[in-house]
Amino acid sequence: MSLRVLNPNAEVLNKSAALHMNINAAKGLQDVLKTNLGPKGTIKMLVGGAGDIKLTKDGNTLLKEMQIQNPTAIMIARTAVAQDDISGDGTTSTVIFIGELMKQSERYIDEGMHPRVLVDGFEIAKRATLQFLEKFKTSAIMGNEPDKEILKMVARTTLRTKLYESLADQLTDIVVNSVLCIRKPEEPIDLFMVEIMHMRHKFDVDTRLVEGLVLDHGSRHPDMKRRAENCYILTCNVSLEYEKSEINAGFFYSNAEQREAMVAAERRSVDERVKKIIEMKNKVCAGTDNNFVVINQKGIDPPSLDLLAREGIIALRRAKRRNMERLVLACGGEAVNSVDDLTPDCLGWAGLVYEHVLGEEKYTFVEHVKNPHSCTILIKGPNDHTIAQIKDAVRDGLRSVKNTLEDECVVLGAGAFEVAARQYLINEVKKTVQGRAQLGVEAFADALLVVPKTLAENAGLDTQDVIIALKSEHDKGNVVGLNLVNGEAVDPQFAGIFDNYSVKRQLINSGPVIASQLLLVDEVIRAGRNMRKPT
Amino acid sequence: MGFSMQPYGIQSMLKEGYRHLSGLDEAVIKNIDACKELSTITRTSIGPNGMNKMVINHLDKLFVTNDAATIVNELEVQHPAAKILVLAAKAQQEEIGDGANLTISFAGELLQNAGELIRMGLHPSEIISGYTKGINKAVEFLEQLVEPGSENMDVRDKVQVISRMRAAVASKQFGQEDILCSLVADACIQVCPKNPANFNVDNVRVAKLVGGGLHNSAIVRGMVLKTDAVGSIKLMEKAKVAVFAGGVDTTATETKGTVLIHSAEQLENYAKTEEAKVEELIKAVAESGAKVIVSGGPVGEMALHFCERYKLMVLKISSKFELRRFCRTTGAVAHLKLSRPSPDDLGYVDSVSVEEIGGVTVTIARNEEGGNSISTVVLRGSTDSILDDLERAVDDGVNTYKAMCRDSRTVPGAAATEIELAQRLKEYANAETGLDKYAVSKFAESFEFVPKTLADNAGLNAMEIISSLYTGHGSGNTKLGIDLEEGVCKDASEMNVWDLYVTKVFALKYAADAACTVLRVDQIIMAKPAGGPRRDAAAAAAMDED
Repeated sequence: MSLRVLNPNAEVLNKSAALHMNINAAKGLQDVLKTNLGPKGTIKMLVGGAGDIKLTKDGNTLLKEMQIQNPTAIMIARTAVAQDDISGDGTTSTVIFIGELMKQSERYIDEGMHPRVLVDGFEIAKRATLQFLEKFKTSAIMGNEPDKEILKMVARTTLRTKLYESLADQLTDIVVNSVLCIRKPEEPIDLFMVEIMHMRHKFDVDTRLVEGLVLDHGSRHPDMKRRAENCYILTCNVSLEYEKSEINAGFFYSNAEQREAMVAAERRSVDERVKKIIEMKNKVCAGTDNNFVVINQKGIDPPSLDLLAREGIIALRRAKRRNMERLVLACGGEAVNSVDDLTPDCLGWAGLVYEHVLGEEKYTFVEHVKNPHSCTILIKGPNDHTIAQIKDAVRDGLRSVKNTLEDECVVLGAGAFEVAARQYLINEVKKTVQGRAQLGVEAFADALLVVPKTLAENAGLDTQDVIIALKSEHDKGNVVGLNLVNGEAVDPQFAGIFDNYSVKRQLINSGPVIASQLLLVDEVIRAGRNMRKPT
Repeated sequence: MGFSMQPYGIQSMLKEGYRHLSGLDEAVIKNIDACKELSTITRTSIGPNGMNKMVINHLDKLFVTNDAATIVNELEVQHPAAKILVLAAKAQQEEIGDGANLTISFAGELLQNAGELIRMGLHPSEIISGYTKGINKAVEFLEQLVEPGSENMDVRDKVQVISRMRAAVASKQFGQEDILCSLVADACIQVCPKNPANFNVDNVRVAKLVGGGLHNSAIVRGMVLKTDAVGSIKLMEKAKVAVFAGGVDTTATETKGTVLIHSAEQLENYAKTEEAKVEELIKAVAESGAKVIVSGGPVGEMALHFCERYKLMVLKISSKFELRRFCRTTGAVAHLKLSRPSPDDLGYVDSVSVEEIGGVTVTIARNEEGGNSISTVVLRGSTDSILDDLERAVDDGVNTYKAMCRDSRTVPGAAATEIELAQRLKEYANAETGLDKYAVSKFAESFEFVPKTLADNAGLNAMEIISSLYTGHGSGNTKLGIDLEEGVCKDASEMNVWDLYVTKVFALKYAADAACTVLRVDQIIMAKPAGGPRRDAAAAAAMDED
């Protein structure tokens, strides 16, 4: 360069070098995530700085934990994370779709095509594909009685890509039931109302759905009951411990009598609050075997605990704020902020409350509730990494069920949509496009095939055979997907493989956008100091 | 230099210091090797004739033990795959409290065999499916092997308890299992609640006192505290006990208090009122019939003075949990503050005495009656590390008792079950079709390591033993095991060696689970190890091994 306008430390890449760096990065990321896709994908092991182990198949988790540095890769990773935020699934697909778009474009660019033309083609193809998706989707009307089978199929499809088969099938029921449990007509679904609690105990197949709540702490008094049936639940946010006054106060006394009086006076207000609760208990439980449980968001100090324990009340302190919401939904009643105007209407009800001790940890189960609108997925597993893996999967499963309920439609999975869309683009859309933008449409159409291709590759099948078989079936007018066991075409509807509509839509929307942006970059400047350490 | 020179692929995208391993050779085989190394370390400790390991951890603490859970815990394994095995062993230890070694060694053996299969050309996914079939079948077979009649046992019958506990304790302290078993069995039976399923391990305490020998060990019905009594009264018999969790002293306000004194008289009076107050309280306690005061907090000088005057024995237990146990032993209800206890809240002890054992002053609280209380095993031994090892053996025994309270089914011990499982699984594998058949038969073969190691560790000819075991089992003698003392094969029921069914099931399941997890991984992405205090040479040496 004849004249350096930049800081000597800045790095400049221009024209094709910049483009190739972007393409290479996209392809590199695709290579990493490729093996994750589908039920036959393999697991990655991530080892953190402190030597902690994480096992995952989830693209999102992987991208989050990998701490990528390459700028292009970061852009792609962000799109994938956005995909996860919106639809909860499809991160791996996003990354490999973008990678494949870049790879297809590379071919044309090497032949002298201008990236702009390709981008125009992408735009046309994207719009056409979205229109096609509208036609292709299978609608599933979710009235007051949602079709459980469809939900189960969607959840199973998602879960099987994250966990091994038998566990995924078990979780399917749990996930679907829990979403249906918290669902209220005419209200958006708040997935936070499903508590996800984990215990390091037994095996992963012991994971279950608790209709009620599991709290990760126990009562703090040795004399409280460990198990109680037919309980009234008081959910409150009242401090039952002595609090120091804000102002700097001091006592003056001149003999021990006075001091004793002071000690009593100091606690009086707390004691009165406790007494009100005890009165309430005596009112509702008098003459019956019913029990009384207090679950408090604030603290309860030892003297108050002692008073409550003597009355046979189980008291839990420092519950999570969110659990207060969930408790009310699960048990009924309402959360009270003051004990002054307690009425029996404020109380919830649970058939069984018990404590489970696991080593040092205590868990309290509130079960057998009436008409719950909140529930708990209790994840069990022998070690932390198994639990983390299930947790991520459950999260995605819940989201997929929620999406289906909200979209009121699903898309056939197992690669069926991708192949169908490709055939539609090549056979119909391409012909309507004038000029070189046709090639962009073609590149887009071929890139769509990456999903069935990768699925086949991970299952150890011959990629070309599979694609040809699928294409010819589609040309005959059959909508088929890929059977991963034998590599033959299968009707996804029959096999029960359904994907979320919103996942696919987001994928087709965001993939080409980011690919176009990357293709249109013709100069990369990394300013300032040299980021890479001298080698 | 620009980014165009960056290498292609994932490595360039990661932060500096990250390592990325992928593929069969780099990830799977290496993982298998690491796990194999780990299991070779623990394997020699299996069984009654297992060798001890000397482990020095990063704090320079010395462990001499053959308890696998302790060994792997202190080794600080760094390799991620080996760590999965360690986690499986920990899960086993937490769940059952015994059989950690079986978990690690079996998982190691499974992986070693998986390595052979991979070299043969099998894909890990086929091995996983074979192993999954294998473990499901093995559990099924194991259930068939359960000794008939063992599901109904009387957990209060010492003979039955000992017969089930013996194998677990013997594998930790061979030769001393008779003494230890009877101690542990006595202690457990004493505290066993009405519903045995609620047995709490915490109720059997261990007090280690240096000096004497194992023969001097004894059981105390009640608690042994390693503290002295606070006051001068050192012995109290058939006494009522009042427990105060908050300390025995004058009460104080939470807010800072100031005593307002105008004249010398007031000063004198103040001290007097203070005294009167304390005296009143202590007197109230004494009048309630209590003879012993147990405090969870500090005991004030003045309070102590009055306690002495009213002939009350004062004990201080500062640990909250210890205090809770004391409450359980005596049946007392802890009061928060010093006040007059109601008769219901008072506990009872047969005797509380301060004694000196081996130079250590201990307070022994005995309570001969009362079902669900606490018992303590007083262990005696010449050195700390022997005592630690004895304690681990006792812990294993107690855990076995807990396990048998929940599920008392037993299977024949002394490797008889393993050989039978191996044999049945091999038959099953032969009937299978498909590539995973090889994996199932390797799974079956993996069981052989148990008799092999038992024999090896005892200095016997392993091949001979295994072949004669197979012959015996082939002819229908499903209980044929190894008699390690005589070096011949004998019926396990004759030798009276039984293993608990639950221990086996969990160990095998955890092992298979861990092995499959290791095999499922095909890529490892490792972050740069976080900076921290440098580990010393001993730990580093341990890390080199794996």
